[in-house]
Amino acid sequence: MDELFTYYDMFATKGVEYLIIIAVLVLIVVFWKFLFARPY
Amino acid sequence: MAGEKLETVDVVQEKPEGPSIKSFGDFIDFLKKELKPRGNIVTPFNIISLPIMLLGYAFIVYRLAVGLGRPVTNLNQEYPWGLWIGFDVVTGVAFAGGAYVLCFIVYVLRAEKYHPIIRATVLNGFLAYLFYAGAIVLDIGRWWNIYNPMVGNDFGVNAVMFLVAWHFFLYMLAALIEFSPAIAEWLGLRRVRKILGAMTLGAVIFGITLSTLHQSGLGALMMMAKSKIHPLWYTEFIPILYFVSSIFAGLSLVIFEGAISHKVFGPQIDEEHNKSYDDIVIGLARICAVTMFGYFFLKALLLVHEHAVPYLGSTMGFWYLFEVIGFVLVPCFMFVSGAQQKNLSTIKFAAVLTMVGIILNRLNYTFIVYNWYVPLSEKYWPAPMELVITASIILTEVWAFRWMVNRMPVLRKPPAWAIEKEH
Repeated sequence: MDELFTYYDMFATKGVEYLIIIAVLVLIVVFWKFLFARPY
Repeated sequence: MAGEKLETVDVVQEKPEGPSIKSFGDFIDFLKKELKPRGNIVTPFNIISLPIMLLGYAFIVYRLAVGLGRPVTNLNQEYPWGLWIGFDVVTGVAFAGGAYVLCFIVYVLRAEKYHPIIRATVLNGFLAYLFYAGAIVLDIGRWWNIYNPMVGNDFGVNAVMFLVAWHFFLYMLAALIEFSPAIAEWLGLRRVRKILGAMTLGAVIFGITLSTLHQSGLGALMMMAKSKIHPLWYTEFIPILYFVSSIFAGLSLVIFEGAISHKVFGPQIDEEHNKSYDDIVIGLARICAVTMFGYFFLKALLLVHEHAVPYLGSTMGFWYLFEVIGFVLVPCFMFVSGAQQKNLSTIKFAAVLTMVGIILNRLNYTFIVYNWYVPLSEKYWPAPMELVITASIILTEVWAFRWMVNRMPVLRKPPAWAIEKEH
């Protein structure tokens, strides 16, 4: 089983993960407006 | 003359809708009558599908008699999961997800707009579980022991398969109860219809709870193969990905199936349903778009979280991008565009793309990126018998769906006495 375990520092990618989440929160507003926009 | 006419109208109004079943003999007679084909049976679909189904049944008997090895399947010690698990069971259950999503929307969120399609969706979900999840019998080496998780002959409560087995069984019961008012209406059983109608909400909530767990449970099943699944696909969040993707997979099937049903069963659909059809499809497209948007970002987040970004430059990386961009991001924006422009053709095309993407995703986990390090020449390819049996299962489900829709109030309005009871 030991060979199956790979150690990752789970905090190493946190910065990028936070940026992705902020991008999602910003984009969901734009996406929502676009989705419910009136047909042009 | 005028008096006679009035009398005739009164008689017609008093005549009970549906059959009058008083005894078991009446029921058998009614069933015999209903089992007879209606209309023209020599159609292109029947001519093509019947030989495939018969050939498939013969292969099923052969498989049950001789076992899983060649020539029935190309499964081996390296590839224990093939087309039957990947497509019939895992993909079939994802496609059946439309039933629990729509039940949640209609019965819990009370979005009555979607009510006209609820019965067809629940029926589709029930039949999908019955046939596709039922196909798991074929995948079990000692298939005659399939009842063991039910009767407690070594329960195996730590196994994901135990959870999946019980959930499939219970969900099939829940879906049957959800659909049973239509069966009672077909049989003309008024009192039974009343009891079953009262049980619907409970069955719906039970069904939704089970679905959220076993959709993710199937993802958890894949986690057993950590060392075999490519790092781009492997994550400890596979259960969440499976659950989220089952939402838009199921709704895409509802859109696709609705488009076909609208053409095939058009005369049965009442005017009110016909009018609201476009609005329903646009609403479903919006739900799909939002869910796919969330799913896409979940995939991006997990790509970073699992330190898998460097793999994107490899051949497997291109295959991953093909799946995620081609069959998640592209159909997501097609759903948005279709909903915004009220273009049903775009929405239907997006639904088909999404379904292809789900098939690809599930097959990736079961045998394409499973053992990804194995050379192409040694990879698993479905055997002809596996393909024919899968096709026969799908076609049998279509035949069962058609038979039920043509006889029960699935797309057409329920009888007047049942509508009165609802109010």
